[in-house]
Amino acid sequence: MLTDEQLVDASLGGADHAFPELVGRYQERLLRFLITRSASRADAEDALQDTFVNAYRYLASFDARWRFSTWIYRIAMRNAARQRRPEPHDSEVEIVDDNDPLAACIEDAERENVWSTARRLLNEDAYNAMWLRYVEDMSVKEVAAALDRPLSWTKVTLLRGRRRLSDEIRSTDEVGIQRESYG
Amino acid sequence: MDKFAKRLQEDAAAIDATASDDFERRLAASLAATRVVDPAPAHRSAPGTLWWASSLTGLAAAVAVIVILNWDGSGPAAETDTSIARSTVPELVEPLAVPPGLDVRTAEFTSPLEVELEKLRSDIEKARQTVREDLEFSF
Repeated sequence: MLTDEQLVDASLGGADHAFPELVGRYQERLLRFLITRSASRADAEDALQDTFVNAYRYLASFDARWRFSTWIYRIAMRNAARQRRPEPHDSEVEIVDDNDPLAACIEDAERENVWSTARRLLNEDAYNAMWLRYVEDMSVKEVAAALDRPLSWTKVTLLRGRRRLSDEIRSTDEVGIQRESYG
Repeated sequence: MDKFAKRLQEDAAAIDATASDDFERRLAASLAATRVVDPAPAHRSAPGTLWWASSLTGLAAAVAVIVILNWDGSGPAAETDTSIARSTVPELVEPLAVPPGLDVRTAEFTSPLEVELEKLRSDIEKARQTVREDLEFSF
């Protein structure tokens, strides 16, 4: 199987199948990322379309010293940043009475996705860094390159993001365990 | 992999990333209308053997400036006037305006319009989706 970088070369060499194969490899991964960053699914699809079109247009300027995933994520992040960030819905910040077991049961049944929590707690760069590190499994150096930030900044941001998010998860889980005692 | 990382990956995988049916068609149309842009010539690596070219140009410019500054203008007045007059007035040997290549321009303008059309369709679809969501929210 060809690597991403070999597919880029093949595409530049005129192979028609090469770029669609890259699209196939990255479509789901990038859409998943963009959905968490956009106001709606339609916006995410628009950003994804722009990402692939821009990547194809400037394919000749791709620097082979980078990984293709790092490069295309940079384009995707730029497109996501152009869009309006989703406002939190009122229903998501509804105050739940801790003494009400029924309300607790309803909340437990619909545990918030960690990435929704991350979007609420972290700033844009920290969110992107966490996603690239933990979902895309990039090295810290690659995350720094994708974000165009110094390595030390990236390390600190990842550490703070992880601490903040794990604290929130822990506190949410503890509340959940306490509420289970009602059942 | 620790528990925290595992949970982040699981929750990311839980996000439904299925593109709409319309998306594939739109993307294919956009890519078909897009051409790979060559990197700017300035960014291309210059041949190693031409490293002296810019230095030589600079040197020639410096010599020209020195010659102009040191020009005392002590020449036969009548001849100088004549030569200036001859050199500044263009001779109408060739037509001044070259008609543009109309065929080439037409081809250049077709692609962006197609892209614009795709974007407009996309905006309409988005607006339709927003109205639909608003209606669902209201009733």
